[in-house]
Amino acid sequence: MTARPATLASRAHPFTPLVLTLCIAITALAAAGPLEAGVLYAVTVALAVISGVGRAALRALVPLAPLWFFLFLLHGVMGESPRIDVAGLALSEAGISLALAQAARLGAIATASLALSASFSPARFIDAAAERRWSFAASYLVVATLLALPRFRARAAAILDAQRSRGLRLRGGPLHRLRAIRPVTFPLLLGALAEVDERGFALETRCAAGVTARTPLAPPVDRPADRVVRWLAIGGAVCAMAWRVAG
Amino acid sequence: MNARLLALVPAAIAINLVVGGLVNAVGLPLYLDSIGTILATVLAGPAVGMVVGAIGQLLFGLLYGYQWIPFGLIQLLIALLAGAAAARAGFRSTGRTVAWGLLTGALAGSLSAVISYILFKGVTATGTTAVVTLLRHLGWSLPAAVTASSLALDLVDKAVAFVLVGALVRSLPGRMLGRFPRAARALGR
Repeated sequence: MTARPATLASRAHPFTPLVLTLCIAITALAAAGPLEAGVLYAVTVALAVISGVGRAALRALVPLAPLWFFLFLLHGVMGESPRIDVAGLALSEAGISLALAQAARLGAIATASLALSASFSPARFIDAAAERRWSFAASYLVVATLLALPRFRARAAAILDAQRSRGLRLRGGPLHRLRAIRPVTFPLLLGALAEVDERGFALETRCAAGVTARTPLAPPVDRPADRVVRWLAIGGAVCAMAWRVAG
Repeated sequence: MNARLLALVPAAIAINLVVGGLVNAVGLPLYLDSIGTILATVLAGPAVGMVVGAIGQLLFGLLYGYQWIPFGLIQLLIALLAGAAAARAGFRSTGRTVAWGLLTGALAGSLSAVISYILFKGVTATGTTAVVTLLRHLGWSLPAAVTASSLALDLVDKAVAFVLVGALVRSLPGRMLGRFPRAARALGR
């Protein structure tokens, strides 16, 4: 989850990529046609590259590819008449325009969020939140979950292997597969509840729930450039929404 | 938020995000991405379930793209309905659990269809969209195809999720149930 310290995105204040991503998502929703959405997508990819997390644009193609395919199929090929000829294919004129706009919107949002993910450092985020006097519980929940995810994924894989080695078959008809869900999920759920018990005691003995504010040792620096970028992004998103509502 | 809830919420969110992968291995077109929300609601009430649903959806967006954030509304609806089920001993038997799961599936599927159609033009998760494409090919209108596929998948998905959580809570030892008094009420004890 943590980016290499050399990248611009990882040197920025943790709130800056977060605000940028949210503003890109809002602007994408406000983008009316394929041109506006396409420009936003191009700007998002360029921002990711400049910030040193350009690989996020490539990683975003994995979830985007099936969505783009179905947009083309559902709206371009199966859309309403009138039809236009594109490279020998009779495509719906309105449908292909809608598909292109939606594809670019999704592209911008997915690229921005995966770029945020690549630059996100849980430790810097919790320090920045503590410096702003955010509640300990809120920042703990975000960071504890991010740290719990790899552990739970590893446990899920181990359970799956163990059940298979005990003879659980994951093939066959839908009913057979449905019956396989319980032996696969139950150990994970019971293990999670046992862990909740242990962690609950550990947090209680450390008086975690009673902490109102803590002072971070080395909080991330909030430079003027960070603040300018955040306010520009917020201004841009507000203008885009106003443009959409007025237009 | 007390220490036990601070420990429960991250675990429930991780369950929401991880169980989907296990179900993929089984090869069923289900999401089961609300088991953590339902479990947290049964153990600690709908407010905690809503926190699990909301933060879980935010983190899902961070990992897989924020385009899915609007579906967070469904997580909040599921927490409310699971809370209503728990308050009425809806997890006492498998039959009652299935009934509450089907009701939740019908409402969640309806909301999902509205979000899918208005914000995503009918193109969302691959399995659902494949069904939408098939129905469109058979001559259904896009709104009808989106509604039918969302409802069909959500009915099964939420019924299975409720049954799993119900079976899990019924199998918990009394010592653990004692730490979550709401769970005992969900079982009608």
